[in-house]
Formats: sequence, structure tokens, C-alpha cells
Amino acid sequence: MLKKIGLYVLLLIAQNGAEAAVRNFALHIDNGNLTITGTGGTTLSVWGYGESAGLPTVPAPTLTVNEGDTVNVTVYNHRNALHNFVIKNVTTDATAIAANNGSKTYSFTAPAAGTYVYSDTLNTAINREMGLYGAFIVRPADDSNSAWTGGPYYDHEKVWVVSEMDKPRWNDVASTGGTVATATYKPNYFMINGMGGFDAMMDNNTMIMGTLGQETLVRIVNAGQFSHSLHFHGNHFQVLSINGVRQPLPFEEWDTINIPPMSTAEVIYAINQTGDYPMHVHTAQAEGANGVYLNGAATMIMMH
Amino acid sequence: MKKLTQTIILAALALGAPCTQAVTINKSLCVGSLSKTLYGSSSTGKSVTFWGYSDCGGGGRMGGMGGTATVPGPIMEIGVNDTLNINFSPMGMMTMESAPYNGHTIHLHGADVQTMEDGVPETNGNMVMGDTYTWTPQVGHEGSYMYHCHVHTVKHLEMGMYSAIIVRPRDSNGAFLNRLNFDIATAYDYSQNYILSTVDPAYHTATGDSPVFADYNPSYFLITGKEGRTTSAPAMTLAAMRSKKVAFRLVGLHSTNASFEIKNSSGVLQPFTVYIRDGRALPVAKTVTSLELSPGQRADVIATLPSTSGTWYPQVTYKKLRANADGTYPAYATAYGKVTF
Repeated sequence: MLKKIGLYVLLLIAQNGAEAAVRNFALHIDNGNLTITGTGGTTLSVWGYGESAGLPTVPAPTLTVNEGDTVNVTVYNHRNALHNFVIKNVTTDATAIAANNGSKTYSFTAPAAGTYVYSDTLNTAINREMGLYGAFIVRPADDSNSAWTGGPYYDHEKVWVVSEMDKPRWNDVASTGGTVATATYKPNYFMINGMGGFDAMMDNNTMIMGTLGQETLVRIVNAGQFSHSLHFHGNHFQVLSINGVRQPLPFEEWDTINIPPMSTAEVIYAINQTGDYPMHVHTAQAEGANGVYLNGAATMIMMH
Repeated sequence: MKKLTQTIILAALALGAPCTQAVTINKSLCVGSLSKTLYGSSSTGKSVTFWGYSDCGGGGRMGGMGGTATVPGPIMEIGVNDTLNINFSPMGMMTMESAPYNGHTIHLHGADVQTMEDGVPETNGNMVMGDTYTWTPQVGHEGSYMYHCHVHTVKHLEMGMYSAIIVRPRDSNGAFLNRLNFDIATAYDYSQNYILSTVDPAYHTATGDSPVFADYNPSYFLITGKEGRTTSAPAMTLAAMRSKKVAFRLVGLHSTNASFEIKNSSGVLQPFTVYIRDGRALPVAKTVTSLELSPGQRADVIATLPSTSGTWYPQVTYKKLRANADGTYPAYATAYGKVTF
């Protein structure tokens, strides 16, 4: 018994100690593929950050830390071109990481609890469009399920990285060494967490799910170049923060939120009835995969 | 349990609000085709085919006259606590798209109704060959909403199957109050519905899962179904008394970025106050000179006219979804309204 109590004490100390934790991450930049499954789907040539060399993911791994942590992110560039790593509103070193296995470590103290976006900012917007983006999440120092210390409590948490890709004019060209005419951008694939709607509407890490009374914090990151207007069926949500700016209490309640490119928002969606509802971008073409309806930026809200 | 508590609180709120006489409002909607001649930036008009909702209260359900379809469709005004029943008969004419996008629904956008009333064919219980849709908005849900077809939305909404539902407060006699909600600060003298929409003619001829729907290139920009390309040919007009208050119901059925502004005849921005967004009163009303409205959003705003006579031009600037390097958005076009006082 004593031993068990001792364990709890140790665990508690460890948890409180999280405030001063050191978090080390490694990201590897490589060529890869992103497959959008289902009708209208395709395989896009991408460049991505991955946790392991040779295994890039789009979006990049979500990096989650606690407020006040010491964060070290070492980025290895295995491609034969220059890349960088910038967490918007957090890190400032935008200089390139040398090509062909160069690396660089970014060290910083985790800022205020919230949702941030990281990306490769080089090569106009091409490196980002090719898949080099992800979410950086800062949880409160006490690691509680609140948006920030003293902020609203939630039961569940989802991260939605919204993005889009122009396969014929950007991905096909950049991946084969061509020059992308960046003035023209007509994305034909629209994604949440790197998935078309047919996958994202069945993805447990993306869907909002819960029982009556439960609340989900949705951290929305727009890593694309288009504004995305997200409409939630079933209930309104509370707007907690917009691009890192915490909103005053009581929070406004909307059913549609516009997320400009390279910005973030945090909303809380409460389950107040039972049923199945879609959440989708309300802009015409963003709902599809190369024009195939609902295989675009969409997911589901399952309220039971 | 939480829901029960919510219900009790809402009931208490309802008691606190002016006693209203709720009524049941029955509407019958059908679907039809129409064409509009649109100009955009050209001096030559182009005929574009639309699909629209029509009021077919005369008995369209059994294949009788389906009313005249319009874009936007009939604007419905209902009171808080009223029950709206929409009897929808889309089959008065030939099927407009092939399976799986045949038929139509009505999605009560923002109403947060039960799944079976939500008009989404991909979720349970939503019929595309005719259905009834019921909604009873509660106290606190005053404001502007929209309805639109949720079958192959990328096509059917673009085709014109949309309009607005305005939820209004009623007084103790059951008459509509000229306020946005029960808050007397939201009183107005005039009200106008600015329904934002955009038109890409290529979307009007493509059908099914066409790659055409991956690329949106709007060339016509509407306010409540009209172009309003210049201040001298406005889409909306209002002749009002000086010093009075004008409510604008902004309903975002467009597919681009947009901003709403009011300029006087010298081009100077005029302030207006946003009281309601997406059918929920803002905890703190905001007075601004420009309001961004993205696809799917609504806002209920009020502007106070000057004490001296003049002309105002409420206007919607439609903008591209892709930002410039400096974060601004290139404009497609501006559609104008006009208020004389």
C-alpha cells in the first residue's frame, strides 16, 4: 500500500515537473507520396517532415508540449534542396538547413498555451504547398484539459490541419524539378489532416465524437493558401481564440468560421443532441477531390 | 440531465422575454428552372440557367402548378417559438441530375435541427424525393439563417437553390417587433435582406463528379439575386427617413471571401453595429466600418442614417480565396445597394 502511495506521489511530482520538462523532437525532411483514397482520389508527390528518415507525413507530426517546456526540435534535411522550419509566432530563425543531410536544432521555451502552425517558409509558398507543414500544440503547464490555464475545460481534443494542393500545376511540376508558376494556383485537392472527406469522415482522430454534454476542443490550423470557411452542422460552437488571440468571455457562438491561410482558431463544440452531422468547408470547390463531391475538406460529428 | 437543465434555463429565459404567441407556419416549396441574363464585367449579357425554390402553396405536391422559381427562393420570416413546417416537393419537374445526385433537399443552415430534419442525404433519414422539414427556433436564436439544397451542394447551391430564413421576435399580440431580437437596442425602422452569392457559369452546365467543380471562377456577383454592378444600377434600393435605423441582414451564400461596407456619396465609410452573428446575439455588440463574411456566415447589423439628406451605398466586395503575399485578398468585383434619405 505504502509502495502504491509512493508511486502516486512520484507520479504527481512527475506531472507537476512537466512544467519544466525538456521536450526533444526530431523531424526528417524527405520526398514522399500522399494518397487521397476513394473516388476522385490520387497519389500526390509531396515533400514532408516525418518522425523517421524516409517516412514523411502530410501533415507533419503534431508536436505537443506544455507551456514553459524547453523544446528542442532537430530537423534533418535529406532532400537536395534548401528547407527550413518556422513555427509562426514562436520561432524566428528562417535560415535554411543545408541540403543533403544537413540539420539544425531549434531550441526555445514553449510559449503561451494555444495552437500554432509550423512550416517551411522558403521557396515562395512552394515548399509549404508540397506538404511541409504541421501543428504545434502548447497545452497548459498543468497539462489539464483546458485550453489554457484558467481557460475553458473540455472532454476531448481534436487537431484539424486544413490544406489544399494543386496537383497538375504545383506538385507534379515541383516534384520533377520543374519551375512552378506560382502566380497561378488552382488547388484540386482539399484536405483535413491530409485526408479527403471519404477518409476524414471515418477517421477517429478527426471526427468530433461524444455523448450528451461532452465538449470537444477543436484546434484548427489552415496551412494552405486559400481561406477556408468551416461550417458545423448540429450545433453552434464557442469561439475561444482566433490566431492566438484569446477571446473575451462570454465567447461568441457561431456555426461557421473562416480560417485565413497560415492562421489558427480554437473552438469548443458541445454535444447537445444525438445524431450524425457533417462538418465541411462551405466554399464550393473545397468540398471535393478533383471535383468529386464530399471527398474534400469534410468530416463528421457523431453525437450519441 | 444537462439537456434538462438547459431546457429549464431556456424556459426561464422565455418567461423573462416578452410573452409571445407562437404560431405554426406551413410553407410548401417546389423546385423549378429559370434563367437570368448576367453581365459581370462585360457589356454583353449572358444567359445563365438556374434552379430555384418556389412557393407552391397552391398544391404543387401532386404535380400541379409549382409556382414560379426564383433565385434566391422565397425569403421566410418566422417568429421565435413558432414552428416552421416546410412541405417540400422537388419532383414537380424532371430530375435535374443523375443518381446519386438526383433529387433535392432543404438544409436549414444554422438551425441545428435533428439529423432527420437536416436535409443531408448522406446522413440518416433524409429523403431526396420530397420531405417535410420542421424547426422551432428558441428565444435567443433570433437573426438570419439560410436554407439551401444539400444534395451535391457544390452544384445545387451554386445553381441557386438557396434563400434566407429570418427569425424575429414577436410582441405580446403576436405581431413581429421591429427589432433584431428582444433587446430594445436592436430596434430598427427599415430592414433589408442582403443575400450574398456568386456565379461561375461553368458550374451551371457541368454535372456529376466533374473536375469542373475543382476550380471555381465566378464571373457574376449578386446581392439577393441581382448584380448591382454600379452605384447607379444598385441591386437593392431603399428610400428612408433621415435619422432612422436600417437593419441589414447579411446572408453568406457565396463561395468566395466577401466584405460588407457602407459608404456615403463621398466614398467615406459609415459605421454600423453588428448585433447578431450566425443567429446568436454577440455578448458585446461591435461597431465597425467593415465586416468580413465568409461562405455560410450570417450577420445582422444596424446603421443609423444621418440627420441630413443624402445617399449611402451599402456594398459587398467579393474577393478571391487566395491571399496576396501581404495577406490582403484581390477583389473580383463590388456589388452595390443604395439608400436615399
